[in-house]
Amino acid sequence: MTYLFAAYSIIWLFIAGYVWTIGKRQHDAMKELQFIREMKED
Amino acid sequence: MKHLFAPAMAIARKDLYAEWKTKQTITTMLIFSGLVIVTFSFAFDPSNQAVSALVPGMIWVITIFSGILGLNRSFTQEKQNDHLHGLMVAPVDPSAIYLGKCLANLIFVLLVQIISVPLLFLLFDFQVISGVGLIYFVMIVFLGTFGFIAVGTLLAALATHSKSSEMLLPILLFPLVTPVVIAAVQATRIVLVDQEGVSAALSWMQLMAAYDVIFFVVGFLLFEHVLEV
Amino acid sequence: MTNEQSELTGIVPSKLHKVLLAIAVPMTLVAMYLVFIWTPIERMMGPVQKIFYFHVASAWNAFFAFFIVFVFSLLYLFTKKRSYDLIAGVSGEIGVIFTAIVLTTGPIWARSAWNTWWTWEPRLTTTLILLFMYIAYIMIRNLDMEWQKRARLAAVFGIIGFANVPIVYMSIRWWESNLHPVVMSEGESAGGGLEPSMLFTLIFSVFTLMLIYFILLQKGLYVEKLKLQVKKMKAKEQEKMIS
Repeated sequence: MTYLFAAYSIIWLFIAGYVWTIGKRQHDAMKELQFIREMKED
Repeated sequence: MKHLFAPAMAIARKDLYAEWKTKQTITTMLIFSGLVIVTFSFAFDPSNQAVSALVPGMIWVITIFSGILGLNRSFTQEKQNDHLHGLMVAPVDPSAIYLGKCLANLIFVLLVQIISVPLLFLLFDFQVISGVGLIYFVMIVFLGTFGFIAVGTLLAALATHSKSSEMLLPILLFPLVTPVVIAAVQATRIVLVDQEGVSAALSWMQLMAAYDVIFFVVGFLLFEHVLEV
Repeated sequence: MTNEQSELTGIVPSKLHKVLLAIAVPMTLVAMYLVFIWTPIERMMGPVQKIFYFHVASAWNAFFAFFIVFVFSLLYLFTKKRSYDLIAGVSGEIGVIFTAIVLTTGPIWARSAWNTWWTWEPRLTTTLILLFMYIAYIMIRNLDMEWQKRARLAAVFGIIGFANVPIVYMSIRWWESNLHPVVMSEGESAGGGLEPSMLFTLIFSVFTLMLIYFILLQKGLYVEKLKLQVKKMKAKEQEKMIS
């Protein structure tokens, strides 16, 4: 049934979406870190 | 205990007196209730008997929305003149501030209700019950309003810390206030419209009383965390 | 993120995290197999009934997440330790995700089983209130102020919010029993209980999602600590530059 697949796809989309959000936060933090290292080298 | 009561009364007296001077908030709350009543009369035909089913709900819509206006004001004016810091620094138990604010807010909302509810009954040609039913009705209104104010005062103090406190307070308030609203509307409906199953109304009133006690105590205990700098 | 960078901040993902991840992948695959293939197709509702497994499992784990918020909010108010505040915050976010899952799978199931998108059923309605409540919680956590004050405000809300949940559920159930005397069951067989294979799959789903919860919690906590450390380092560098 398409409804069934839609439901489970949405479940995994939500979880994947949240994982992506965390990944983005980590990436931003890493960019900040890079910026600090460059500041240090000056 | 005495250390709580006297400062609480002082704070309540201060709020009531300040409001008496300007009557600003009460006027806004009353105008708002009037607006709700008039808008509902346009939306629904007041002469139609079926519309009487709406009246219980309307009583609580008026209470909640004008109550939010009052709750907002109760702390924003403190913030404006930096009274908040004064209150925090004063050698007063924060819970006394909670008591005083609750009392003042309760009185404001009850005042608005005393005026708007009869007005509502009038404009909607509502058959007012008498005797025992009326006593139940007054008790229900008091129980529901008290619970709403108990939670609302705590959350208003919490929301004050934000720059957009007027927007934050309703968001914080509505999920928490759901049980007492459901109970109040159902109980009011039973007592005003249904008029049977008064025992059901009693169960709703018990729920409201439990809610009131729980959240008043919780507000009392947690208020100091909300007020601290 | 490179090892060098992670060592620079001093924040490293724990070994436990990798172990949990290693367990989660096969566990999820097994769960999916159980749900889609192993469990029998329910007589009355057909295959759509299988939404039930992850729908209920999400609901349980959302509740569990919010319980963690409650516990750590209390702990924070008593101890003022920042890590407790961070745990509560991340748990709240994960709880919102699970709640959103419940609120989307619910209507999908309702639509195909009872041809209606929404029912004011007590559990679903309580979940809706829950969503609003914890979105409000997240909004408090995003307020702009010193972290101690913000943590305290969030903790207060986390406590009263959770205390409110049973009351909300009770009042909605009473309200509902007046409107709909018939309580809608969720995938229970005609006998009134759950078939053993369904029960097993349900419990397995609950634990699978709980494992995912813990993994997300660990990862979220790790990133929060990372952010804090980077902020500290930045402040130090800025001070050095000024002086």
